[in-house]
Amino acid sequence: MFDVNELISPLATEQTSLSEDVLKKINRQIANQLNTGVLVLDEAFNIVIWNRFLQVHTDKFGADIIGQSIFQAFPELPERWLTRKLMSVMQLNTPNFCSWEQRHHLFELPHTRPITTDSEFMAQNCTFLPIVTESSCKHICILIEDVTDVCHYQGQLQKALEELAQMSRIDGLTQIYNRRHWQESLEQEFAKAKRHSKSLSLVMLDLDYFKLLNDNYGHQCGDMVLIEVSKLIGSLLRVEDIFGRYGGEEFAIILPETDLSGAIELAERICSAVAKKSLEYNGEEINVTISLGVAQLRNKEVSYEGLISQADSALYQAKAEGRNKVCSSSTSVAEV
Amino acid sequence: MSEFHLTEDQQDCLQELINVAMGQASDQLARYLDTFVYLKVPSIESVDGKELISTLSQQQNTMAVVSQGFFGYEGIRGEALLAYQEEDSGRIADLLGYEPEELSQDEQLIDISSILTTTFLNVFARQIDNQMSYNAPKLLPSVQNSLSEHLQQMTFNWDLALKVNINYQVTDYSFNCNMILLIPETAIINIKNVLDRILEDF
Repeated sequence: MFDVNELISPLATEQTSLSEDVLKKINRQIANQLNTGVLVLDEAFNIVIWNRFLQVHTDKFGADIIGQSIFQAFPELPERWLTRKLMSVMQLNTPNFCSWEQRHHLFELPHTRPITTDSEFMAQNCTFLPIVTESSCKHICILIEDVTDVCHYQGQLQKALEELAQMSRIDGLTQIYNRRHWQESLEQEFAKAKRHSKSLSLVMLDLDYFKLLNDNYGHQCGDMVLIEVSKLIGSLLRVEDIFGRYGGEEFAIILPETDLSGAIELAERICSAVAKKSLEYNGEEINVTISLGVAQLRNKEVSYEGLISQADSALYQAKAEGRNKVCSSSTSVAEV
Repeated sequence: MSEFHLTEDQQDCLQELINVAMGQASDQLARYLDTFVYLKVPSIESVDGKELISTLSQQQNTMAVVSQGFFGYEGIRGEALLAYQEEDSGRIADLLGYEPEELSQDEQLIDISSILTTTFLNVFARQIDNQMSYNAPKLLPSVQNSLSEHLQQMTFNWDLALKVNINYQVTDYSFNCNMILLIPETAIINIKNVLDRILEDF
């Protein structure tokens, strides 16, 4: 039904000045200058025609290829799968396709961008066309398009998009999650904990006397402290804990499947680790402390914001009680 | 009623052509798949472009959509969309005669879509003395609302869409999908001319 010759033939009859012979030569030259591989198979999948594109890319001689089975000439082809595909073209008389997006390539051919791309073989879009010349004689035409460029640029685009997505989640200074992503995560963890009746705890923490540090040593020193403290805290967490920069010198940690006592234990560990750590700025030793507020999700809580304000008030309590310590909203838990 | 809407006669004529095309296509498919294919009479609706978007977005759990462009003589062209639900996709490899490890789920969907679309449209084209060519089928990115997003981003303007609901029952497999043929405005005029020509011959 789909027939390349038939599509070309109206041209031939309109242009009566061309003889059959000249027309044949023109068609052959076009086929040989196409930047697309053309391979024609007979019903037994033996190769009957191929064009120059394939000849130069496979570096094989025509005499060896013509008459050979496609699977013999190209042993890299997945025989069982391709046979079934070719059968569908024969039986249904419909074209069939194979895109690089599902299979990078069928034929192992070199490509012309060996330096700028990282794949060894030419990425291909293949089209399988049924060719009916006489009622009893069927052929299949395989068109092989080089889409190495498309594949390469799509890969670059994908990489750029992933980097962008990553950047939109990360705080530029400390390289931990930013406020927006942290809050989205809390919303999800809150919903998960509610649905599965799992415990969930939150730690809010704040650097003590951070303004004074900035005033005495300058903002570059303040930045260094933020970076180093983030690194230290990050090293004390489990993979499932979600650590983010909440604001200026305030940080927050989501602890999934953790109850209040577990959260307090971790907070105490973080508190003393930070106090013990001595940092250095311009040859001067700098010691900082943090205050922490801990809260556990209560049954009556209907929004994640409630959990934040609980942890927040525990943090204020820790500040009020002299800093460098952990307070929890355990009193409010007892009230429930 | 705009110039793009089909008259009652034209609608009947198109339904008849599609019934016949579907019957022949499923006969070919049965032979290819080597099993019995039971086919319900396809229901055909012509729907407004804007209505279609809301109809489709109401359709829950559409798992995947495969798009394939088609074009023939006399300006007959459009895009076929095949929409699958989660439960339709389990045994496509089996149905097509492949081993599951030979091809990915995406490739299975693309393959069955291409076969359904081209088999059906080839027979349809033959009935109106036409011949179709096809673009390579594409799986639309699997995000929610991908279908309505895709429709909104389409480059050509179209007012009318033909919604053909196909329901294939294959022995041992249950398989369902919706085929939607989007036809741009100019192509609708061309189809109406073809339908009128066929109606005159009766």
